[in-house]
Amino acid sequence: MSVMAMILAGGEGPALSVLTAMRSEAAVPFGGKYRIIDFALSNCVNSGIYNVAILTQYQPRSLNDHIGVGRPWDLDRSTGGVRLLQPYQQSRGEPGAWQEGTADALRFNLDVIRETVEDVLILAGDHVYKMDYRPMLRFHEEQNADLTMAVRNVPSFEAYRYGMVSSDPDRRVVGYQEKPRRTASTSASMGIYVIRRELLVDWLTGEPGRDQRDFGGEVIPSFVGNKRLYAYPFQGYWADVGTVQAYWEANIALLSETPALDLYDPNWVIHTRSEERPAALVGPEARVEGNLLCDGCRIEGTVIRSIISPGVYVASGAVVRDAIVMTDTVIEPGAEVDRAILDKHVVVGANARVGCGDDNTSNRWVPERLNTGLTMVGKRAIVPPGKTLCRNVVVYPRASAKDYPEGDVVSGETIGA
Amino acid sequence: MRVIALILAGGAGTRLGVLSEQRAKPAVPFAGRFRIIDFTLSNCVNSGIYGVAVLTQYLPRSLNDHIGIGRPWDLDRGHGGARLLQPYQGRGHQQWYGGTADAVLQNLDYLRESRADTVVILSGDHIYKMDYRPMLRLHEERQADLTVAVMHVAPEETSRFGIVITNDRGRVDKFLEKPKEAPSTLANMGVYVFSANVLIERLRALGAEHPDLDFGKHVIPGMVNDGNVFAYPFAGYWVDVGTVEAYWQTSMALISGQSELDLYDPKWVIHTRSEERAPVKVGPQATINQSMVCNGSIVRGQVDRSVLSPGVYVSPGAVVRESVVMNDTWIGPGAVVDRCILDKNVSVGPGTYLGWGDDYLTPNQAAPEIFHTGPTIVGKGAHIPSSRRIGRNVVIRPDVDDDEFTAFPEVVPSGSTVG
Repeated sequence: MSVMAMILAGGEGPALSVLTAMRSEAAVPFGGKYRIIDFALSNCVNSGIYNVAILTQYQPRSLNDHIGVGRPWDLDRSTGGVRLLQPYQQSRGEPGAWQEGTADALRFNLDVIRETVEDVLILAGDHVYKMDYRPMLRFHEEQNADLTMAVRNVPSFEAYRYGMVSSDPDRRVVGYQEKPRRTASTSASMGIYVIRRELLVDWLTGEPGRDQRDFGGEVIPSFVGNKRLYAYPFQGYWADVGTVQAYWEANIALLSETPALDLYDPNWVIHTRSEERPAALVGPEARVEGNLLCDGCRIEGTVIRSIISPGVYVASGAVVRDAIVMTDTVIEPGAEVDRAILDKHVVVGANARVGCGDDNTSNRWVPERLNTGLTMVGKRAIVPPGKTLCRNVVVYPRASAKDYPEGDVVSGETIGA
Repeated sequence: MRVIALILAGGAGTRLGVLSEQRAKPAVPFAGRFRIIDFTLSNCVNSGIYGVAVLTQYLPRSLNDHIGIGRPWDLDRGHGGARLLQPYQGRGHQQWYGGTADAVLQNLDYLRESRADTVVILSGDHIYKMDYRPMLRLHEERQADLTVAVMHVAPEETSRFGIVITNDRGRVDKFLEKPKEAPSTLANMGVYVFSANVLIERLRALGAEHPDLDFGKHVIPGMVNDGNVFAYPFAGYWVDVGTVEAYWQTSMALISGQSELDLYDPKWVIHTRSEERAPVKVGPQATINQSMVCNGSIVRGQVDRSVLSPGVYVSPGAVVRESVVMNDTWIGPGAVVDRCILDKNVSVGPGTYLGWGDDYLTPNQAAPEIFHTGPTIVGKGAHIPSSRRIGRNVVIRPDVDDDEFTAFPEVVPSGSTVG
């Protein structure tokens, strides 16, 4: 069986606030040193799949730099390897070359799938999970399926977020509802599909599939009942970190005694591109408790229950609590960070406070997305010395001192938009 | 100028005891995630030298694995790049490298094929950050046959070095190899820039009579007499961690914040081969103070003034103090590790006290000249059983198992050797 993986990494992930202001969701850092796409990509190579295409569209620079020629995953190969696929113009003057959905993105890139490929593994670049795809591929082959989708059990109150699958005792799919209000099924599609190449190509280029834009919402429902569709149950850890709260929880969950997502398993290494950095340095007066610390960080102050990325500097007298702090961010002396996500290269000035007080007023611009008390600071933003930021505040990337109002920034405000 | 570098990495480093028993000294781990040779290799590429040959002889496996095709240093190149040069057999010639210069002599073909006109000869044993470009510029300006990097050392240390006397233009007038009494404190660092033609000619001329041809002993003194050798003064950080004590002290200085060696400088990155490991996990009851800890380590106990390499596990209730702990070593619950150097893949049983008591002065009975300053050393892969008290200056040899400890049911006295 010859398999090629196509990872859908073009999505914007708008619910991740400033984290996706300058990068696609797949390129958002996770767990200190990883990017979200590392999980899907490492799953591929750990499952022996060395032919991978990554479909990009929204803000691809960060992702391009990260993937490069695929060295960290041993995907810099002569046969197969990794390919980054950008949207392209088809013929002069033809309008609308942007991809309008997952099925559309696949349709644009069918030409990279060689005839020797029998099955295509379609993956999302924005999920965090460890999965061996080989048993699923074997199941697909044994059932002689046209399409096999991985499913997992979800509580019924979450069903509205997923494509819900009902199957017969042989696991053949007999019903599929995209994001239903109400359903008897508890099997949710994980956005992981194995499909016969011929079917994929014929469907997306022929009638009526040619006009379909979304894979989960349009293509799958039209397969039910007339193609051999199977559901493959998956039990392991899987997280969609598409919202700020889910993202924060999935990161903080790594700090527990035995996290569901084990990053230390030598048999299933999550590979990533890392810069060369010396060991994490913990100073004489530092206090560190229940953290993840990455190589190259230097801690002189106090860090509690936080994720500290490479190159972060926490000066003496500074306190970081329940926070995610990304690469090369600096927390100056006496500053305090509490329940916040700080993107890369942020500078929190001396004695500033990020995340302060009990006022949990939702963010005024995006109340539905930022209402749990987390404060977000975008890439290369500055928090001026002595400034206080309360809860649910958003600071946009590259915000500078002059973007701030006089006095405290009250809960729910947005700076530098 | 077409420059290549030759790094001499064949030395045994006997005074590092069990650390260099299964690997060459340049391959000894340092500062958690580096190997000693990383400093020289990184200096080369950071100085724009991309043709680098590493001459190996003593226990090269670890070094071969580490360097590989040179990827971490961007030395996996079509033109130039990293080469590992081992001793080889030829017709009518089958010799090990007899001395430092002999090693170069046996690889003259590599030197000629590189078509370099300038050869930088370096040692893989030293920890330092140095830009070789100003030295190469000086060599070119003076049209020197040889330029020697020199630095001032403490007067009591001069007998360990080659001592150099220069005139006011920086020309070397005298070169004394390890003198009993030194007229100067300018010491040879073992960093040489040779004009390729002169080097080839000299080595050939001297090679026949000296099978142990050595740069310090045979080559340099003769060239000094010819009067075209210059000294390049270097003032930065440079250490030779040739002894257990120096190794331990250098490591401790690094975490004290007093060291001049800045590993965190983004303009002079020290590259190394590293495995992909998850971030350091610090448990909720853990405390870490004044320490360097590498990715892949999990700390649930207490770590004080120590260096932890990737993948070290410190169990709850365990204490690591003033120690250097290498990759994937496991420290059991309630164990104490005090002033020790633990090589890779060691396991310390629950409740064992390693570095017990304050009897720092009893030297190791088997090797008193190497182990007499206190640190207890544990070789690679050793398994130390639970609930033992193990003193100072103890040497636990690589791969020892519970059996070897039957002679020590409770206490391993200071100065003992196990295995």
